Amino acid sequence: MMKNDGGVILFWLLLLFTLYARGKSYSVPGKPTLTRCRSPEKETFTCWWEPSSDGGLPTTYKLYYRKEDSDVEYECQDYRTGGKNSCFFNKNYTSIWVNYNITIVAINALGQTFSDPVDIDVYYIVEPNPPENLNVTIQNDKGWPFLRASWDPPKKADTRSGWITLIYELRIKLEEEDEWEIRDVGQQKVFNIYGLQSEGTYVVQIRCRPDHGFWSEWSADVQVKVPNYLRRNRSTWIMIIVFSAVVFLILSWLLHINSRNLKHCLLPPVPGPKIKGFDKKLHKSGKSLDAFKSLDVPDFPHHTFSKSEDLLVEFIEVYVPEEQELMLEKSNDLHDGCLKSESSVSDCDSGRGSCDSHTLLLDKSGQQTDTQDSQIDEQRLGEDLQDEKLSYAHQDMVSPDMSAGRVKTWPSVFSPLPQNRSTSADQASSLEMAKQHCLSDSLLPSEFLTSYHSLSGHGTRDHLGSNYWEFNFGNKRPNLTQPQTEARHQAHSEINIFTTGVKAEPTALKFPTPRSSDYVEVQRVNEEDSIVLRPVGSNYDKHFEIQQGEEYSRVKGVDSDNVLLLLQKEAMEEEMDMCPCEQLSGTTEAHYTKFSTSPEKPTAYTHPTPQPLEERVVNGYVDTATMFTMPPY
Amino acid sequence: MMLAVCSVWLLLVCLVLYSRLKVAAAAPTCTNGQAGCHVLSLANLFDRVIQHSARMHGISNDLHSEFELYFLPSKNQIGRVSRNCHTSTILTPNGKENAQRMAREELTEVILKLLVAWRDPLWHFHQSLAHNHEFSNFSSNKSLEMSDMVHELRKGVQKVIEKMKMLGIMGNSLGGLGTSESLLAPDSAEWRLMKDYDLLYCFRRDSSKIQNYLKILKCRIVPEHGC
Repeated sequence: MMKNDGGVILFWLLLLFTLYARGKSYSVPGKPTLTRCRSPEKETFTCWWEPSSDGGLPTTYKLYYRKEDSDVEYECQDYRTGGKNSCFFNKNYTSIWVNYNITIVAINALGQTFSDPVDIDVYYIVEPNPPENLNVTIQNDKGWPFLRASWDPPKKADTRSGWITLIYELRIKLEEEDEWEIRDVGQQKVFNIYGLQSEGTYVVQIRCRPDHGFWSEWSADVQVKVPNYLRRNRSTWIMIIVFSAVVFLILSWLLHINSRNLKHCLLPPVPGPKIKGFDKKLHKSGKSLDAFKSLDVPDFPHHTFSKSEDLLVEFIEVYVPEEQELMLEKSNDLHDGCLKSESSVSDCDSGRGSCDSHTLLLDKSGQQTDTQDSQIDEQRLGEDLQDEKLSYAHQDMVSPDMSAGRVKTWPSVFSPLPQNRSTSADQASSLEMAKQHCLSDSLLPSEFLTSYHSLSGHGTRDHLGSNYWEFNFGNKRPNLTQPQTEARHQAHSEINIFTTGVKAEPTALKFPTPRSSDYVEVQRVNEEDSIVLRPVGSNYDKHFEIQQGEEYSRVKGVDSDNVLLLLQKEAMEEEMDMCPCEQLSGTTEAHYTKFSTSPEKPTAYTHPTPQPLEERVVNGYVDTATMFTMPPY
Repeated sequence: MMLAVCSVWLLLVCLVLYSRLKVAAAAPTCTNGQAGCHVLSLANLFDRVIQHSARMHGISNDLHSEFELYFLPSKNQIGRVSRNCHTSTILTPNGKENAQRMAREELTEVILKLLVAWRDPLWHFHQSLAHNHEFSNFSSNKSLEMSDMVHELRKGVQKVIEKMKMLGIMGNSLGGLGTSESLLAPDSAEWRLMKDYDLLYCFRRDSSKIQNYLKILKCRIVPEHGC
């Protein structure tokens, strides 16, 4: 015993000596830790641990475990199969749905250290091996290739008996790319991949996991090259290009065709001044008088007539039967409305000729039915025409001065066609006459001149003068009633008086010497041997029309501003705005004709001087008496 | 016009409902391959019960994880934590060989036993959750779902058994409901002692057993596809 004790003491002393001689310190090993346990097929499992410091001494590790339902401690049987620091549990020692309590012990010469115990259930630590035999082939689907990937489950996992159920996941990418495209496969072992890049090389990988475990590692790469199938695509591309080129051409052609409309739509034209010879700069500079005077074209009517048809003037007869005055009065509002609407229809500033408005009248009457509206339209159109005529009217009085071989006459102001005129025939006939007026414009001047010049002397002139007015009176509508005829005759006589009066006292009335260019031309001779007159003025600002038949103006005199004053039959009470551009003044007992438009009207024929008659209401009549009495401005 | 449209619509809805009712009503009466009746194959039946059991296991897993957050067993507990499930008395195969060695009737019986054993505990578990305001509605709903699923799964497995018996695959050695019920009686008191977390732990494991056994059965009896 003494010897034994001595041996032990000696041993320890030697140990201490050796330790001391080496110059190191030794200690018990550090605490190991169990890092992971995995089962590849739910039949065996392996646990790995991580040793800590060994304390400088050779350390051994042991694994002890306890099963859930017993207190018996077992030690690991296989430390090698799993590699270093591992413990492999084979089938005999593995139980599923059983809680293992595992502890690692590190033992060295100085002591042992236990690790923390870990509870595991093999059912939940299954990590299968990657699937095997991944095979990717190229299949053809009507000329479009696709990949078909097939594989087998890992050998160890027994899926056939239903012990393990595996679900798979595939990933694919082009060889040169970095990002993988992951596809969920489920439990099947075959998968198709579509949408391939022609002549591309693809890399495919597969992995699996049980429904309650960990993902396996990715399998080895499988590369596959997609053949070139773009040859067919090239023709498709060509077709696409051709088609788009055709579409583009068609679009550009359409654009070109409609460029004007588009331009009009996108950039609506700004209406500019339409006065021929109107100098914007002069106007802007403030010298409006000069600007307007520049509009005076010496050779005006012939010159312009020969040029354009726009300047054709036509007559419109004003017919207001007495019994219809009331109706007309009632329709005053309408007239106003008409005139207002007329502004949209007739463009006072447009410089359009009467023929244009004449066609307008025709068109409108063509659409009309036997309705009040149609009558109003007609009136409107008539007013339209009148407007046109008035736009050409000249401020200066046109005196029937025959000495120059011309007669200045004011246009007889248009008054609305009788509203009781319900028959379209009447309307048609009126339109017809207007049409004839227009068409015969070009014919008349020569006729007139010849007839005119054939007359001689005052008497002739008188005769002629009376003839003028007779013409108007002679032109009668078919349904003229007696009172109308009477009115006409009255007017006739009045005119007659006038002409004589004129003859007698031209100066008293202050007729200006007519300019050589002022004259009235006979348009034509109608069926009742009436001559339809058309005024032609060189300035053309004296343009006026004499309406056929019904209504006419009686010239009362000429005022100081060379304005022809016409007298209206006092029975007439209509008021009508001939032109929206004109201003409606308060009515007097007489009706007034507006002979000329305001100076700012942008027509080539507007007289530059301001008009004394601006405020007169036009319905075809001018009361010269009032003109004299009322100040123009 | 609107009224006509509405009435037509209502009529259509009524027709659809009626047809569906007819179909639903017809289902239970369809047995033993009647003419015009859609008979499910055994494989189809197996798939359905397996899916059902998988879902049940999923819910139990979720609940268990949720409980683990709140009721993690203390590590300072002296002594080993021993969870004694009340179903530990039922002998269940713990390995593949054991399971494959078992006869299909035995295996089926084990499944049934497990299902029967969990019916009452899960119901009471749900009740305790519902009345305890500490737990969220989510947990309570899940527990109810779990409880219902056990019930449904048991009925499904019984249908499978009937089908198998009809096909002659399984002998009549398998006891009916009566024997299963009788097995339950002595164990009725034990599960009341279990705590909630332990109960969930046990059920999670048992539901995975049920799922696995069903899969083994299926691949043994009807291995055509999916095995």
